[in-house]
Amino acid sequence: MSEREPLMPDQLTHGWLTQRVSALVLERRPPRSWRVGVVVCALLTLVFVIGLSHLFATGVGIFGLNIPVAWGLPITNTIWWIGIAHAGTLISAVLLLTRQRWRASINRFAEAMAMFAIVCAGLYPVLHLGRPWFWYYLLPYPNDMGLWPQWRSPLVWDFFAIATYLLFTSSFLYLSLLPDLASLRDRASARATRLFYGVLALGWRGDALHWARYERATTIMAAVAAPIVVAVTGIISLDLAVSIVPGFHFTIFPPYFVAGALLSGFATVAILAVVLRWMFALEDLVTRQHLDYLGRMMLIFVVIVNYAYTQEMFAAWYSGEVEYRYVYLDRWTGPYAPAWWGMILCNVVLTQLLWFRRVRRSPLAMLALGITTNLGMWLERFQIVFTSTHADYMPSNWDTVWPTGWDWAIYAGSLGLFGLLLLLFVRLMPMISMHDMRAQIADRGRDG
Amino acid sequence: MSRVLSLEELQASLAVSGSGPRYWRSLDELAGREGFGELLREEFPRLAPLWEQSVDRRGVLKLMAASLALAGLGACSRPAEEIVPYVNIPDGQTPGRARHYATSLFVNGHAHGVIAKTLEGRPVKLEGNPDHPATLGACDSWTQAALLGLYDPDRSRTPRFRDQVSTTGALLDALLPRRKHWDRTGGEGLAFVLGDRNSPSEQARLRALRARWPAARWFGHDADGRRQAMQGADQLFGRPLQPVHDLSDADVIISLDADLLASEPGFLAHARHFAAGRRAGAAGAAMNRLFVAEAAPTVTGAAADHRLAVAADGIDALARSLAQALGLEVPATGLPASSAGRAAGWIKAAATDLAAAQRPVIIAGAQQSPAVHALALAMNARLGALGRSLRLREPDGLVTEPLQNLNKAIADQTVDSLILLDANPVYDAPGDLNFSETFRTVPFRLHWGPYVDETARLCHWHVPATHDLESWGDACAHDGSVGLIQPLIEPMYQGRTALQMLALLDTGQEREARGLLSDYWRDTAALSGGFDAAWQRWLTAGVVAEARPDFVSARPLADWAERLPEPAPERDGLLLQFRLHPTVFDGRHANNGWLQELPAPITKQTWGNAVQIAPATAARLELADGDVVRLSLGERALESPVLIVPGHPPDALSLTLGHGRTAAGRVGNGVGVNAARLRRAAAPWFTGAAAIRRTGAAEPLALTQNHHLMEGRELIRSADVATYRQDPGFAQEPPPDKSLYPEPSPRARSALPQWGMSIDLNTCIGCNACVTACQAENNIPVVGADEVARGHEMHWIRIDRYYEGEPDAPRMAFQPVPCMHCENAPCEYVCPVEATQHSSDGLNEMVYNRCVGTRYCSQNCPYKVRRFNWFDYSNQAALATPAAANNPDVTVRSRGVMEKCTYCVQRIRSAEIEADISDLPLADGDVVTACQQTCPTQAIHFGDVADPDSAVSRAKAQPRDYGLLTHLNTRPRTTYLAGLRNPAPTLANGDDDGHSQDDSESPA
Repeated sequence: MSEREPLMPDQLTHGWLTQRVSALVLERRPPRSWRVGVVVCALLTLVFVIGLSHLFATGVGIFGLNIPVAWGLPITNTIWWIGIAHAGTLISAVLLLTRQRWRASINRFAEAMAMFAIVCAGLYPVLHLGRPWFWYYLLPYPNDMGLWPQWRSPLVWDFFAIATYLLFTSSFLYLSLLPDLASLRDRASARATRLFYGVLALGWRGDALHWARYERATTIMAAVAAPIVVAVTGIISLDLAVSIVPGFHFTIFPPYFVAGALLSGFATVAILAVVLRWMFALEDLVTRQHLDYLGRMMLIFVVIVNYAYTQEMFAAWYSGEVEYRYVYLDRWTGPYAPAWWGMILCNVVLTQLLWFRRVRRSPLAMLALGITTNLGMWLERFQIVFTSTHADYMPSNWDTVWPTGWDWAIYAGSLGLFGLLLLLFVRLMPMISMHDMRAQIADRGRDG
Repeated sequence: MSRVLSLEELQASLAVSGSGPRYWRSLDELAGREGFGELLREEFPRLAPLWEQSVDRRGVLKLMAASLALAGLGACSRPAEEIVPYVNIPDGQTPGRARHYATSLFVNGHAHGVIAKTLEGRPVKLEGNPDHPATLGACDSWTQAALLGLYDPDRSRTPRFRDQVSTTGALLDALLPRRKHWDRTGGEGLAFVLGDRNSPSEQARLRALRARWPAARWFGHDADGRRQAMQGADQLFGRPLQPVHDLSDADVIISLDADLLASEPGFLAHARHFAAGRRAGAAGAAMNRLFVAEAAPTVTGAAADHRLAVAADGIDALARSLAQALGLEVPATGLPASSAGRAAGWIKAAATDLAAAQRPVIIAGAQQSPAVHALALAMNARLGALGRSLRLREPDGLVTEPLQNLNKAIADQTVDSLILLDANPVYDAPGDLNFSETFRTVPFRLHWGPYVDETARLCHWHVPATHDLESWGDACAHDGSVGLIQPLIEPMYQGRTALQMLALLDTGQEREARGLLSDYWRDTAALSGGFDAAWQRWLTAGVVAEARPDFVSARPLADWAERLPEPAPERDGLLLQFRLHPTVFDGRHANNGWLQELPAPITKQTWGNAVQIAPATAARLELADGDVVRLSLGERALESPVLIVPGHPPDALSLTLGHGRTAAGRVGNGVGVNAARLRRAAAPWFTGAAAIRRTGAAEPLALTQNHHLMEGRELIRSADVATYRQDPGFAQEPPPDKSLYPEPSPRARSALPQWGMSIDLNTCIGCNACVTACQAENNIPVVGADEVARGHEMHWIRIDRYYEGEPDAPRMAFQPVPCMHCENAPCEYVCPVEATQHSSDGLNEMVYNRCVGTRYCSQNCPYKVRRFNWFDYSNQAALATPAAANNPDVTVRSRGVMEKCTYCVQRIRSAEIEADISDLPLADGDVVTACQQTCPTQAIHFGDVADPDSAVSRAKAQPRDYGLLTHLNTRPRTTYLAGLRNPAPTLANGDDDGHSQDDSESPA
């Protein structure tokens, strides 16, 4: 990597950086693109609310579900959102532990992305329940029935995994925001703004003891985060793998799903990086070099995921079970074949472009690849969820089901919710971690 | 005559002006309106004079005082409603404890004897009456679904005149001058149209009417073509006789397009006797053999050892060839070219078997021509079956004329008054009669029937019929034996029983229903003891023992064969066949949600009909499932989707009757198309020269099964008897690998008994009775066509149907699939809230109020027997089962919960409670599941699998026992007994009838 470009402009100073980033929040009127984005996302969120109202009023029958395909788009989307959430934590935690400095300018919005993706992911399992108002039956709370949840059920693990992840991501995000909130407090001119950030900053004064504790806390949390990243998606994959459904029941699912999750997560970070650097003119802070690194991360996981595809097929053949083999034939030739071949196109064929440095450094190409990879990962989850039970053990109950308009409306709505939360976040919070960048500026001198 | 106001109009005009002052004025206006006086006279005949005469001051004061005094009484004028039920409990009544009564129902015109279960005076379930010759303790879907019919909110509630609510009093007034006129003229201009009810007391009343008005004409509405059997007997014996078949101990059974196991009169008894012959084969004795030639696949054809698909117009030629092969001298015709090879082999094998048979029987389908019936009867006579497996009896009803004569009579204006009893010709008269147009020109039209149907709407007068479960009456079974109909509940609406209606016509008076019936029997039955004792005995048993049918003997005429009609010339083009629908029949069950949603046994279609077509013909016409075609016959045409049916004869189209109703009710209206529009009165069951054209549109079909091949998976196992004799354990498979963990087994569980089920695929005929029985017992909701098309159907037990072999002559096999109650249930460990659990007695239990609806259990169920309440089905307005029809012992499920077969846990627990109270252990057979109880062939055994002597354990100990998908180590408690086939030795291989024959014969 001799021709490595600098990750930030040479002339960058602490003061200038803080001024620049906090101004995005405190002073500058948001750009027109942001306002358009908020309106679009808010409208989509409205669609989400309408969809949920209809859902709660009538029942989950509005989704494209039946017997045998009793899980459909909601579960597809859960896994997809969880996957997206993962890169955020990986960037902020694993790259922190491994002291990858390039993470500094992207980790904040990656964490925010994780946070909001997990919100979307966590909503789906609840709203796909037949009786969502009894969701708390999954909690181990003392009750007059003397019942605890069924600890053998992966859905219980799932519940705890998502809840843990949500708690962890939000506290980690908040923790890393503290020094920056204090900066905003100090720079805010209006009293209300000062009060707002002041309360949120929890009295951060930036003294050495604070910093020492902060460093220790983030390192510990990062160390905890790494296994959580693996465990959460691993557990989600166990929802499928623990069952006896051909097409679900593969032991390679946990690593396969983790790699898939990280792939879609990095793809989403790439999309956000390209969009936000364009929206807020941050080309100097989120450089092409960052995109390059993101592209390389994607490439790693592309390779793992592609390997998993071959292993999944091999396992289906090697099992010798007629049902498993049939599921694969059906994936290739059955009614859902376009989803399978679409997945191959997006995740296997197109992603090979990432081997090229020029592609990785092109914002437009990275945006396009980010979108196609996310689409591919979505199709991967779609075909796993739909094809596996639609033609399983007894041919008499084979049936094909397609997502309904409500499925799509709620999916679009959740995308809108995610976008809205993210856009509001970057308006209210510094989208680039000022203190991490400042540390990087300090380090730059040392690296020479 | 000034127009009579109706109550509705009155209410409407009051409602129009809701605001205060206007309201009062309008009452005055109403009183002044034309027709008000007539209304008053009709509604309150005694008060009418008061209205008309003037009132003086004293009178006003008296009236006011009386009004004041009576106003207080108004509060108690309604019948007392007890809010504390049964302070004085009727004798023998315990709240919550069911009572059972024997009664009979008309099922498509014939009596089916049932034992009805009532709870707190409300019928909730029907079971077969073991003493009744038509049911033998079993039931069919129609009988089961009659319960829902009782509570149908769309039933006709009041007499109607010109589509307005009226009274019987008004009808009697209207009838009075007419009856006088008929009495004078002997019934000149009067005509009756009779449905197919077969009841001795009603027939006696009808005969009395005929004697009273000899000039009246009588028309019969022949819904299923049964008139043709008697015409066939007439051709053969010289007089119309009713054939009664008896399949008990029959060793060779030939069906010539007769759906004898599922819809021909006496089908439940036939199925029972057929199954007995199958069971004997499995036990080591000789097995009966069934040959079926049929024009469209039925469950009878599926059960056949040799099934031959022949278009309906080819059955005649086939029957002639078979008769010749048996040595009868009949003018022969060539076999239809399309199936000649297969047919020749089939005939040869059948004739060989018949010649050697001890107790053969040949049955012609009701929809076949009289000639085929004559041939079948002659063959039976030839084989010595007369008096044994075939008996003859005098026809039950009046001799009636066919409907086309009525059409002509109306056109000739010789009929001016028409009385229709339980017939709906406006809906189902053949289209070429243009019946509804001619019908409208009759000056006086009176209809008696359970619904305000298409015919009732075009009638001046309509009188609602009571449901059989709220009637007094009697009903004649297919074999002539009689059972009494007794009410289980007060008539819900203002219905009249058939006897009441006939008495009303005859005497001009309202009579009490019970008295009419008991009077008939008091006069008819020659009893040694007292009448009251006999009456009690009949009501208790459900069968009138003294009314045994009289069978007659007859000899074929010498010249019968010469009188056979000329065989029809070879047809070219497509044949259009009209078939009775397996669930809604001729349309009379169209408003029954259970039957609409019941998958047709072969096609698995619900909610509607389709043009059935052979795969080869479909390929030639480039048609696919769901393609809408325009089917035309001359000027008349209709549009319907196409359904490709393997095993359908080529170059023929089948369309079922009974759909396309316009006035059936909320459930049945607008479902499917009315095939009667294409029918011709001269050839009601099949007709050539049909044209079919694609419209380009497509319609989704509400099928419950979309994949029809087993894909090489051994789900239904069967073998020829010969193979079975050599290798009785052909269905067995090696047990799954031993696990390191302790495996649960029935004997390892602590509680006793341990429940399990065995289903015998050797005797299961796929008739669907268990599906409806389960629906009735377990409050299973009806979801509607759109939901079924989406895969949301709710039946807890489904009948899987698979095809094997070539598409034009496939084997069909059925497999009822309830919950397997796996020992190692995959559904249990994945439920996050423990809503599905294993009970100590081995049931896989579903806890509805704990279920949150993750549906993981269904995902992980390899049998996919779980059903989910996607919406609030039990409260969906039009299709919801009325609350009164629900079984109070079973929870009605809410939206968002999973449900599935429970092995009728409510029956298990109540039997256990009974045993506990009586301090006796549960005996084998104390618990009978709904599907088991209703099964016509007794294919289902249920009981304690930990007890080696129980019936279910003995069934499971048979070598044919196997489990579904046992390689998953689910250890199902429900297991199957493999099916057996008994192909004729001359047709070496059962699944390849024709070809082996073709090969062996072609060189000759």
